[in-house]
Amino acid sequence: MPPKLQEIVKLFQSVQEPKAKYEQLLFYGKNLKPLETQFKTKDNKVEGCVSQVWVRAYLDSDNNVVFEADSDSVLTKGLAALLVNGLSGRPVNEVIRVSPDFAVLLGLQQSLTPSRNNGFLNMLRLMQKKALQLAVEAEKGENSGLKMDGSVENGNFGSNSDLGVEETPVGVTNSGLKVDSRDGNVNVELDSEVGGERNRVQSSNSGGLGSRGTRIKEKLESELSPVAIEVEDISYQHAGHAGVRGSDGETHFNVKVVSKEFEGKSLVKRHRLVYGLLQEELQSGLHALSIVAKTPSEVNGS
Amino acid sequence: MPSTLTLFNLCCNSIMGTVVHKLPSFKFLNPTSSSSHYCSTTTTTRTSKTFRAGSRRRSFSISASASAVREDNPALGSLSLGHITRPDFPILHQEVNGSRLVYLDNAATSQKPTAVLNALQNYYEAYNSNVHRGIHYLSARATDEYELARKKVAAFINASDSGEIVFTKNATEAINLVAYSWGMSNLKPEDEVILTIAEHHSAIVPWQLVAQKTGAILKFASLNQDEAPDVDKLRQLFSRKTKIVVVHHVSNTLASVLPIEEIVLWAHDVGAKVLVDACQSVPHMVVNVQSLNVDFLVASSHKMCGPTGVGFLYGKSELLSAMPPFLGGGEMISDVFLDHSTYAEPPSRFEAGTPAIGEAIGLGAAIDYLSRLGMQKIHDYEIELAKYLYESLLSVPNIHVYGPAPSENVDRAALCSFNVENIHPTDIATFLDQQHGVAIRSGHHCAQPLHRHLGVNASARASLHFYNTKEDVDDFIQALNDTVNFFNSFK
Repeated sequence: MPPKLQEIVKLFQSVQEPKAKYEQLLFYGKNLKPLETQFKTKDNKVEGCVSQVWVRAYLDSDNNVVFEADSDSVLTKGLAALLVNGLSGRPVNEVIRVSPDFAVLLGLQQSLTPSRNNGFLNMLRLMQKKALQLAVEAEKGENSGLKMDGSVENGNFGSNSDLGVEETPVGVTNSGLKVDSRDGNVNVELDSEVGGERNRVQSSNSGGLGSRGTRIKEKLESELSPVAIEVEDISYQHAGHAGVRGSDGETHFNVKVVSKEFEGKSLVKRHRLVYGLLQEELQSGLHALSIVAKTPSEVNGS
Repeated sequence: MPSTLTLFNLCCNSIMGTVVHKLPSFKFLNPTSSSSHYCSTTTTTRTSKTFRAGSRRRSFSISASASAVREDNPALGSLSLGHITRPDFPILHQEVNGSRLVYLDNAATSQKPTAVLNALQNYYEAYNSNVHRGIHYLSARATDEYELARKKVAAFINASDSGEIVFTKNATEAINLVAYSWGMSNLKPEDEVILTIAEHHSAIVPWQLVAQKTGAILKFASLNQDEAPDVDKLRQLFSRKTKIVVVHHVSNTLASVLPIEEIVLWAHDVGAKVLVDACQSVPHMVVNVQSLNVDFLVASSHKMCGPTGVGFLYGKSELLSAMPPFLGGGEMISDVFLDHSTYAEPPSRFEAGTPAIGEAIGLGAAIDYLSRLGMQKIHDYEIELAKYLYESLLSVPNIHVYGPAPSENVDRAALCSFNVENIHPTDIATFLDQQHGVAIRSGHHCAQPLHRHLGVNASARASLHFYNTKEDVDDFIQALNDTVNFFNSFK
């Protein structure tokens, strides 16, 4: 059992009176860092809970798994806080080995009911599942050169081979680094950890947008049949703020689309159209879109 | 007043064997739970648990009451139906998590009186045997009792013939039976099935499944501003396209009661059938299928003091006769060949396989018990208890009770679904159980569309039956106030 978890169990065992145990639980819950709305996704939701519970997991720079959680029920939030405090910052293999039996030691009867409403067990399971997933993805990421939070990758340099890893600035959060590739698509991502030394630069031509960037482009292409389209990943400009850390880096985009579909539509309607097409992305970590939506005549005429 | 005191002493003497004298002189009627509802710093332990007699545990003290408490309501006094019948229910006399059990989850399932338990036990001890085909003595007796139970159900709801009662596993299965058997052979593309958004999932989902297969369309009537189903809007949904109307009699969340007689008239006017989900009405009031003139009606045994595992469908005989089988197997056939079979007449046609024989007989015993008490008497008592529960709940700060308010024209069932601002219902239910032994329910009560409409994920629900007492409500309210204070102190 991770040391922090052991501490928590001891604390609860030392509190005899049930009401005081609940108070302790609520205290934990109150101090739990709230989860941002963008992370309250279906993927992060704990199944089988009468209340709503979300759990988010990501790897930190030491490849330990960090958890965040939230719930609309304060008792469940307390339980979630227990788990977050007890398991966060530990290596993956330690997390997945934790047995739910420790719950008995807490002396909190409500965490033990075997009904499907046993959020505690399901929470723990989801946390372990996510930790495992992260570990697997991290391994895959190192092997195939895909982007991964915290990992350095040095594949995928297209025509801009002058950009080697060595040349990238280190520990910078707001530097702009733009590379223009041949066909006018700008795709660069600079993601740096605050205070950390890892850096990841992926310069690419049109085939090299990250997975989200590509999806955005493809969706807009298929739905709007644009005359011209530019999708620019500007997540690096926002690297270091809370919304970005932990996601796979693709959180902020500039989108410029020239399409007949915008004809007759006001600016607001055009933006709504684009937002509508990218709903899925917006619900799964895409933080912000900056949209320029023009019709062919507007572009030609001006 | 002296007479009241005497009455109380009498009760005390006969029930408790001792007499309470430490009571101040203001008006009271009966022993109530410890401490006032309005004492916000009350501890969770109950005081004065000094009087015990046999297996019954009660705590005594005075409730400092406001006008909300119906002190002079004899219906809720110490000779109420609740007090009289409690001894029949052994399960109620226990402690849970260190407190007296206060069971307020009757809409989910009811408790069973000893008479029903005895009937079940007796069946298995004395004459358990398979029904309908046997020749020997035991099976003849089992068959007689099983068919007698069917007659009892028919008489209980005033069906014209016991052949109009089909035993099923529960009400859910009964609705599925109608959906598949009647629905599949009567619904065509663009035919409409009318429901309300307050229906139980079991009344919605089977029709969704059948609508998918037949191309029929489901239409839902919403609520009015009193948080009751909008009966006018419901009527407006009826048209020549309507083939069946599926509605509850009493809502398990809103506690509202639909005017079934009128709904049936309007439905029949447009040539539509009516299926009534009577799960929350049959156990609590007189239900007369002939005067309501419904086409189908379903109920579950376990909600009416009978065992789980059995329920029934009432269907008018001409309807049942025209319906194809639902489940296939033994009992429901007439002759079986390799390439085809012929089917039995209803109700057997819809009772494939060995039924829950003992349980059906148990249901019969439950009906006997309820009939001896008298459904009207039960209903009258529960109306009073319902009002008391509703008014007591309203005294809790920041609470919202769903459904219409009780009034001259509006009866509420003896249940209340509610939410307290900024406190999750699950937290309330958990704390009530863990710290006070009070059993309520938290969730969507199998009515997700309703909760979505009300704009909440879940609600807490306390539901009563005739064996609950005013003290149960008082204990609940006191515990609820304690719970609310606990969680509020953490904000």
